[in-house]
Amino acid sequence: MASKALYAAAFVALAVPAAAEPDLSGTWERYPQPGDTADPALISPPVPDPPLKPEYKGPWQANQEKLAARIAEGQPAGDNYVHCIPDGMPAMMQGMFPMEIFQRPEQINVTQEAFNQTRRIYMGETLKPASELDPMFYGHSVGRWEGDTLVIETTGIKQNVQYRWTPHSEGMKITERLHLIAPDILRNEVTVEDEYLERPWTWSYTYRRTPGYKLLEYVCEDNRDYVDDEGRVTMRIAGEG
Amino acid sequence: MSHLSRKLSLALAGGAVLLAVPVAAHHSFAMFDNTRSITLRGKVAVYQWTNPHAYLEVDAEEAGGGTRHYTLEMTSINMMSRGGWTSRTVKAGDEVTVYVAPLRDGRPGGLVLEVVLPDGRHMLPGVPNAQNYKRTS
Repeated sequence: MASKALYAAAFVALAVPAAAEPDLSGTWERYPQPGDTADPALISPPVPDPPLKPEYKGPWQANQEKLAARIAEGQPAGDNYVHCIPDGMPAMMQGMFPMEIFQRPEQINVTQEAFNQTRRIYMGETLKPASELDPMFYGHSVGRWEGDTLVIETTGIKQNVQYRWTPHSEGMKITERLHLIAPDILRNEVTVEDEYLERPWTWSYTYRRTPGYKLLEYVCEDNRDYVDDEGRVTMRIAGEG
Repeated sequence: MSHLSRKLSLALAGGAVLLAVPVAAHHSFAMFDNTRSITLRGKVAVYQWTNPHAYLEVDAEEAGGGTRHYTLEMTSINMMSRGGWTSRTVKAGDEVTVYVAPLRDGRPGGLVLEVVLPDGRHMLPGVPNAQNYKRTS
């Protein structure tokens, strides 16, 4: 009997995977967008504060008033954009503008429209330790399917590439679990593990499909804004040096 | 009109929009005075379709005669595209009226809140949390 059940289970396991991997190809943006009738059950709660160890918490706390004001204003956290520098990981996944997923069995690319940011996820490869990698904005990402969930592991992110001004080591590891929670609604459960943190830092983003939308290009071409010595943003006006 | 730009236009038309997600903005807009607005009338000198911002430079008529050259920041051209703008919405020489949140430091510049085109259309550049900018002009 047991072997019969095992055989049946194996048969089901063989029959299911091909259908279980959803096709995430296409354009997505954060949910809800203005004008959406949002289902509260599908909305991701706000991102919690990073559980930094005491030695890193102090400097981080000092910036929080400024950060809170910016988030209330609807501004990006951090100064990357003012310097014409892209988000990097994990900030690019906050979906400032729409994003596009290209899915192939061996590789998945995610492009964020803002700053033409692209990350590449190599399926079935093993994540190397950060000590063997050159640090980059998007780090190094490997992926695998666990049933209908796309699991992405990323490490090797430059220390100056920060999300919500949260310091981290080059060994920071980000694990994302992406799965459809409703038709055309994608949930990204993010877990950050790092020696700077007391415990893993977790949050989620929800995206929805944007049917028919074609990503626009974004080149940071003429930046007239700059951050002065006191951290204020100032605009150069025509005729000034 | 694409689904997105229609949606954005609706959102902009609605005025106060509550957003659960970050609005595309390039930096803090604290340098612009959101407690008052000024109204500029004059000829467009430059309409610059670039990221991270589009710019409108206007030779605005002064009360006592003559003109003053204003440098006006708009939002990302990606945001503006989704709101119905194109690189040809305005051109140099157009007579426009522009509602502006002026620079706090008094230099002739600011943030565009609304443009009235020569054909009478009112265009919004999609300023994040536009409801927080007081219109006093």
